[in-house]
Amino acid sequence: MNGVMIRDLAVTGPSGETVAPFDADVAAGGMLAIIGESGSGKTLSAKSLVGLLPRGFRARGALRVGERDIDLATPPDRWGSLRGRVVALLLQDPFTSLSPVHRCGDQIAWTIEAARGARLRGRERQEAVTRSLAEVRLPERVTRAYPHELSGGMRQRVAIAAAVASDPQLLIADEPTTALDASNQAEVLDALRALQLARGLPVILISHDLGVVRGRADEVLVMRHGDIVERGRTTDVLTRPQHPYTRALVAADPALTPVAAGSGGSPTAVGPDALVRVRGLDKTFGDRAVLRGVDLDVAPGAIAGIVGESGSGKSTLARCIAGLEQEDAGTIAFAGTALAPGRRSRTPDQMQIVFQDPYSSLNPMMTIGAILREALEAARRMRGSRTAGDDATDDTVTDLLETVGLDPAFAARRPADLSGGQRQRVAIARALAPRPRLLICDESVSALDVSVQAQILALFRRLRDERGITILFISHDLAVVRTLADTVTVMWDGEVVEHGACADVLENPRHPFTQTLVAAARRENAPAARPHPSGESTHD
Amino acid sequence: MTAAIALITTPTRRRAPWMMVIVGVFLAVIALLAAAGGLLFPDAMRQDILASLLPVGSEGHPLGTDELGRDVLAMTIAGTASSVVGPVLVALGSMLCGIVLGTLAGYERGWLDFAIGRWTDLLLALPVLLAAIVVSGVLGGGYAVTVVLLIVLFSPSDIRIVRAGVLEQTARPYIEAAQMLSLSRWRVMFRHILPNVSTLVITNVMLNTAFALVAFSSLSFLGVGVSPGVADWGRQLTDNRAIMFDNPAAVIVPALLIILVACAVNVLGDWLGERLSRTGAAA
Repeated sequence: MNGVMIRDLAVTGPSGETVAPFDADVAAGGMLAIIGESGSGKTLSAKSLVGLLPRGFRARGALRVGERDIDLATPPDRWGSLRGRVVALLLQDPFTSLSPVHRCGDQIAWTIEAARGARLRGRERQEAVTRSLAEVRLPERVTRAYPHELSGGMRQRVAIAAAVASDPQLLIADEPTTALDASNQAEVLDALRALQLARGLPVILISHDLGVVRGRADEVLVMRHGDIVERGRTTDVLTRPQHPYTRALVAADPALTPVAAGSGGSPTAVGPDALVRVRGLDKTFGDRAVLRGVDLDVAPGAIAGIVGESGSGKSTLARCIAGLEQEDAGTIAFAGTALAPGRRSRTPDQMQIVFQDPYSSLNPMMTIGAILREALEAARRMRGSRTAGDDATDDTVTDLLETVGLDPAFAARRPADLSGGQRQRVAIARALAPRPRLLICDESVSALDVSVQAQILALFRRLRDERGITILFISHDLAVVRTLADTVTVMWDGEVVEHGACADVLENPRHPFTQTLVAAARRENAPAARPHPSGESTHD
Repeated sequence: MTAAIALITTPTRRRAPWMMVIVGVFLAVIALLAAAGGLLFPDAMRQDILASLLPVGSEGHPLGTDELGRDVLAMTIAGTASSVVGPVLVALGSMLCGIVLGTLAGYERGWLDFAIGRWTDLLLALPVLLAAIVVSGVLGGGYAVTVVLLIVLFSPSDIRIVRAGVLEQTARPYIEAAQMLSLSRWRVMFRHILPNVSTLVITNVMLNTAFALVAFSSLSFLGVGVSPGVADWGRQLTDNRAIMFDNPAAVIVPALLIILVACAVNVLGDWLGERLSRTGAAA
């Protein structure tokens, strides 16, 4: 099998040229990574290679895959025979790209059958499917499983198996691990790597995450605003970035920055004056125990990190504290007062929450100004209902926007006009309106691009330093927690398995799960400059 | 996520704008006639035995006359109000029920949801036309009774659709953010959730207008909707059935209008829904 040549690929959109012409080559068994933030044109470039550009966009250029020349200006309806057979596309979200009502084995078999142009029967079919699954290191039993019965990582590996079952000559992976947590990410990328080497399959990997690229891709293209701003061998680009944008990206990558700036003192020592004290919290959904006897203390003014994989119960814990979910047993005390389960026992000035998805956490039908005004009114009503002196001068929408670093002119806009990072800032501004003592951040930066992530993390740090707000920061991403939190609590399967000062836990993980988390994060960083200057941990 | 969705959705159908211009102009004319038709032809119902059953193209009667010598064109125009206003009222009234009960059921859940759910089940089990005929028969019929009756019979689908939309929105983080601010439930329901189901609401009002138009005409045709002696398209159909071959226009014109208005409203609703959901998708 030969490599892939892309010549003069350009994409024109409704507002002119969206991706400037560029060339790229991928050797057989090689991996080319295209890195950039959302809106940089990386996904459009990828889609133009499979003829799936959205309406209003047109591609130009030529693609040579093996012996075949493809004109990228081919209209979408004539791509049918090429897509899948010659070029396969792997999508970001394994849950939406697999059919939820069909068994995984069938879905793989369909691709095989479509490629061979013949139906497979009985043993032959089973063998072909098992072979495909083995290529991505999945056991044979997955054949009979439905997608929802598998973890995110396994689902994505099924999607990979289905994508390559038709024996394509080029695989394009569009943010294949963005929807997954750290250990699943490594698993998927390793499977992809193994497959690629075994088959000599050229892969183009699209990502916003430098960590994914590190140690896996041979060559990197850095895209910004539709232009290639930097390209070169992966190690060169990551260790000696030339373009200011690449430098900013590398600098913003949490895996490469030193441990939390503000972790002074001994934050583990939480006295009786803990702002939040959780004891023996239990919660079940149906017959599944999501929280089992969880204890947690958060000191006032601290940034407390909670780390765990999806399904570990970390979000449920946060939602119980916020009162959005009612615990079955256990107590939650805020500033020394026990709170009954549910929202009613809580007031807006105690705590606010910032959610993961900035796209659905703002009402799309309201302007930013209206959203913030409503939050301020709610805060004012609450203060008014108290007999205590009205010493708090009222914030305005402008104040809130300035606090989170947005121009006051944003008040007139609607959420749809804002980028993900800007929306998340608005969500933070709304959370700040009642002047809460505790800010709960439930995966608040997970959906954001790396450089935007760094800005939001800096904002959180500033809020703690300047306003003394206590922050409960929930994330699946160890690297992010490490840069921000003073203490870290590791959750696994509904239980707290480890707790302590951030640096201690990460340098010296005791629980096996913490060790795998740390190892996964390390492995991802391995070929780059060592992120842990303090050296090897002493596993015992 | 966005990437996957963008690939899965089929390209949105794009109806040529000229189609919408035609539909818009047609519906505007109908609205105008509904408002002013009665004034233009105050004596549309006047009988003239001497002019009975004139064919299309007769002098002074471009669409001819019916058995009682009433001018078909004048009657049709005068009948616009009765034929169109009722269905519009039915669609709006039924959606009002849908908004109030559907939002309550979807947001509050619990016993309220259960009670409203069983009520809609009960209503959905009734065949609309048959129930209307029976009740109209018992209560003596009449325009107002028919409107109220159809509102009640049309409401369950609106209740269910609004409830489904509200359920979907309630699970979204922006609603939880509103709850974190301890906003009142009414504010959450009607300021936050309702605007976000407006696509469903508007599209369904349009669809129901078309359904109600047909239901209304059917009832008038069966003689239970509009009392005899009132200009109405459905009524015209039933009265002029017998003279179908003497003056076809007396049947075809009102029938055609019923079909055209129903189609036009449907197309408009479809188009509005598509446009609104596209704006929503950008959010």
